[in-house]
Amino acid sequence: MARIKKKGTTGNAKNYITRTQAVKKLQISLPDFRKLCIWKGIYPREPRNKRKVTKSITASTTFYYTKDIQYLLHEPLLQKFRDQKTLEKKISKALGRGDVTDAARWERGAARPEKTGKPRYTLQHVVRERYPTFIDALRDLDDCLSMLFLFANLPSTSAVPAKMIARCERLTLEFQHYLIVSHSLRKSFLSIKGIYYQANIQGEDILWLVPYKFNQRIVGDVDFRIMGTFVEFYMTLLGFVNYRLFTSIGLKYPPKFDQLKDEQGAELGAFLLEGVNIATDGDVKAITNEAPEHGVDPKVQAEVNKIVQQLKEDDTNGDAAPKEAESDEEGVEATDAIDKFEPVAPGGDVLPQPEQSSSDPAELFSNFTVYLSRETPRQPLEFILRAFGCKRIGWDSVLGEGSFTTDESDPSITHQIVDRPVIQAVTSTEGDGEDNQTAQKLAQNQRFPGRIYVQPQWVWDCVNDEELKSPELYAPGAALPPHLSPFVRKTQGQYDPTLPLEAQETEAEAIDADLAEAEDGDEDDEDVENDMDVDEDDEEEEAGEDFGGFDEEEQEEASDDDDEEATRQRQRELEAELAGASVKSKGVDPKTKAKLEQKKALEKKAREEAEDLERAKGMLSKKKRKLFEQMQYTNNKKSAEDLKLRSKRRKLEKEKAAAKGKTQ
Amino acid sequence: MPVLKGPSANPEAPSQYKQPSRRGKKAWRKNVDVTEVVKGLEEVNEKIIKGEVFAAEKPSADLFTLDVKGDASIPKRFPKQKGLKADEIIAARSAVPAVALRKRPGDKTTDGILPAKRQRTQYVTHKELVRLKNIADGRHESTVEVVDADFDVWDAPAEDAEQLATMPDIPKAKKTKAPNTLRQKPITLAANGKPVPAVARPKAGQSYNPSFTDYQEALILEGEKAVVAERKRIAELEEEKRKLEAAARSAAEAEAAEARADLSEWEEESAWEGIESGGEELTAKTKRPQRKTPAQRNRIKRRKEEERRVRHEAKQKLKDQQAERIKAIALEVAERERALELARDEMSDDSEEGDDNELRRRQLGKFKLPEKDLEIVLPDELQDSLRLLKPEGNLLKERYRNMLVRGKVESRRHIPFKKQARSKVTEKWTYKDFTI
Repeated sequence: MARIKKKGTTGNAKNYITRTQAVKKLQISLPDFRKLCIWKGIYPREPRNKRKVTKSITASTTFYYTKDIQYLLHEPLLQKFRDQKTLEKKISKALGRGDVTDAARWERGAARPEKTGKPRYTLQHVVRERYPTFIDALRDLDDCLSMLFLFANLPSTSAVPAKMIARCERLTLEFQHYLIVSHSLRKSFLSIKGIYYQANIQGEDILWLVPYKFNQRIVGDVDFRIMGTFVEFYMTLLGFVNYRLFTSIGLKYPPKFDQLKDEQGAELGAFLLEGVNIATDGDVKAITNEAPEHGVDPKVQAEVNKIVQQLKEDDTNGDAAPKEAESDEEGVEATDAIDKFEPVAPGGDVLPQPEQSSSDPAELFSNFTVYLSRETPRQPLEFILRAFGCKRIGWDSVLGEGSFTTDESDPSITHQIVDRPVIQAVTSTEGDGEDNQTAQKLAQNQRFPGRIYVQPQWVWDCVNDEELKSPELYAPGAALPPHLSPFVRKTQGQYDPTLPLEAQETEAEAIDADLAEAEDGDEDDEDVENDMDVDEDDEEEEAGEDFGGFDEEEQEEASDDDDEEATRQRQRELEAELAGASVKSKGVDPKTKAKLEQKKALEKKAREEAEDLERAKGMLSKKKRKLFEQMQYTNNKKSAEDLKLRSKRRKLEKEKAAAKGKTQ
Repeated sequence: MPVLKGPSANPEAPSQYKQPSRRGKKAWRKNVDVTEVVKGLEEVNEKIIKGEVFAAEKPSADLFTLDVKGDASIPKRFPKQKGLKADEIIAARSAVPAVALRKRPGDKTTDGILPAKRQRTQYVTHKELVRLKNIADGRHESTVEVVDADFDVWDAPAEDAEQLATMPDIPKAKKTKAPNTLRQKPITLAANGKPVPAVARPKAGQSYNPSFTDYQEALILEGEKAVVAERKRIAELEEEKRKLEAAARSAAEAEAAEARADLSEWEEESAWEGIESGGEELTAKTKRPQRKTPAQRNRIKRRKEEERRVRHEAKQKLKDQQAERIKAIALEVAERERALELARDEMSDDSEEGDDNELRRRQLGKFKLPEKDLEIVLPDELQDSLRLLKPEGNLLKERYRNMLVRGKVESRRHIPFKKQARSKVTEKWTYKDFTI
């Protein structure tokens, strides 16, 4: 007989440990345990059978892997926690005795580690341990950045000390500087929650969310101890990431930080980036602004800039500093190069190639001088504009220090970003001096000639589409086009409002549309009144929110038309037979005929494909077939919706064209 | 007394010159060197014989000295014991001059020269004291020292390699290996069991200036959710109300029954009063179960049989009806299955990302997760200008919830006050504690 196995020596009982057990084993307090777990990346687990772990569990018992906890025993931080605990005990003892001086002495001694010889702890080794390679760290940067950007925008309270906030702010600004210099920002999106940014660093897409300024309410159900613990770790992490990123493009880390400028609200402008090499030490990269040159024609300036750029590019033996930086950047870009997907075997599937963006993000705004009105959000605009190549950004002095110019009337300004309603200029024929208010308003709303006024959304839409959008659409007071999310994944055949209709409609749809148009044209010739009626109907339908109905009707109409056509054709054939002549397509112009034939061919092809599919489906197992049918069902549903949207748009476009034709 | 010597060949005891210890064989009498003593004794003996001793008697002053100084080494060897402080104080003469009896000038009167300000080095401010108390309670500001990164963590050489280079002889300490369990992903709380992303890609409807279709889609979705929640709330309210009503009714009924019972008892009593004599006590009348007669049994049996038959017939009828429209039912079932599968299909929607709107039932920790904030701007608040945008939701809460949903930490709830021990106030009767 085999030996009787003792209970609790293998399986769940051995592999899992409850939180209380873990805390007892490590001999630290529960808050310290929580901290340690957060820093070391030890998460609660779920045994398959809780009863088998311990008998005395409740529904809310938390479990950990025993091995994880065992590993924690080797953690050097544990000793620090224990030291901290003894210090607490000493202080509380002294306070209990009434020896306040003694307590203060203990505390002072702990606060000056260099005096006592006991260094305070850092989380460097934890960073290394949790992210063995730099890429690992980059992959986990989403959370880190969102958290730090959020904390940088919090008001300071007892739970969130001001020091932490300042630190977060600094780290995030440094990171932004890297993005600006390396031009690795890709997309940005204004959502109702905050502003999303996406950057591509060393081939990793990093997405983070930045809150709007001055909108952070502190709510009760957030545990700041836990959040603070995360932030402490993330601050260390981002510090190292920044170091790596800065050194990778040949910049010194930490960049010089101007306290005075920061206090005046310079934000990005408070930093001064320096090259690493001694040779480049002398020349400091002024990230902030090019020197303001008043009275220079912007066009001339732009051309001069271009020439200088060309010269720089040509002159390989030029200054060490820019060359150094550029070569480094090129190195980075070389690693960023996109792989090409090639079919493995000849005759294999040809895969869609990932496309490199056609326009260089570094050049998008490079020739502009932008002025931000004081009602616009300065921080995101400044960051995005700089990240996409804009060198000269001015703003009103109330928005803080560090602008290219605070003078709104500066002639070098090419673009001004405005987010103010247009006030109708009242032409007061009476004494201007009397109506002081309107005069002020007029002054506020004053326009400078030779400059483009746009709303802030223009910047975001330009960035997301990687091209300069036409500013008329974004003029102040104009109804803005919708701000579309660049993060929505596009699927095949889905309706996309940004693309022209021709680019997205299917072949059959296009033919149908053309045929319908031809018929419409005929009808138009026949009776205009009818057309008017149709228009009215359309308007009514648009007014009603249900836009499912009319389309079906239209389809039905189309099918009716087809039927009629078929019967007419049949009639004609019969007549021709009686007359003994060959069938003539009467009254149908060759274009329409070709289209009809095309349609027929398409239909035939579709039918054949459907048959093939049906046959293939027969080979599948019942379960798989079911699943396949489900998929088809949902796809059809979705594509029907897209079809509806497209047809609606077609209609609108036609109406627009018609209106244009009438006006002309 | 003359010391006489016995005749012997070797009068000396067997001897040894040094006697460092008295332990062991060396300390035995025969091994001890006593030559010196013997020699002295012999000398004295001789002198006695010659009669020299008494003549050579010296005065005691020559033979002895009077020690008045004491041993100088003694205070060194035994340091003086410190006496009681009280004794010291009593013994000491006060260094302070005696208080003069005549009138003195006040403390504030000076001689015109400003004294140096006293340094209060030992003083601890109240603020500092509060901070110390906080620290004693385990509330530190921050224990981690955040320093500027001044090296590349990912390029730094491994520590043990350094150590190996400097100290080749010392055997390397075995490095602890991280267990594989450490690398496992945390438990996601999403209903579909897929990992929730740290920052979810924003949906099109979340734009500050969304396109109509996107916005409508989002609005309908949120609206449906709100309707469901509201329905649930109302149902719960109804349920509560119904329960309360039922409880009230049953209480009222019970009361009425009691009242009736009281009344009937009273009436009975009154009825009995007339007939029965007062001496007879009222016995509690409990109906004793009686044996059923075969007739009764048969009746019960028949009744049960009848009931069973009726039930069976009803079932059969239903079955027949269903059989009649079997095709319709099959279609219905198929439709339902299809819908279910479709729902499942849509929920899985072949995305790799978890959805943090729908959470699984079992959560980590004791407390429920905070609800997700509504992430939509209502139609009347929808603005197309960035300046007028009212941001929705709370990012702080969202980040916190995200941590919980990703299973990084278990949910906690802020407890503003610790549960205090209940105290009882009593009066001490101290006025009784006295003696005469």
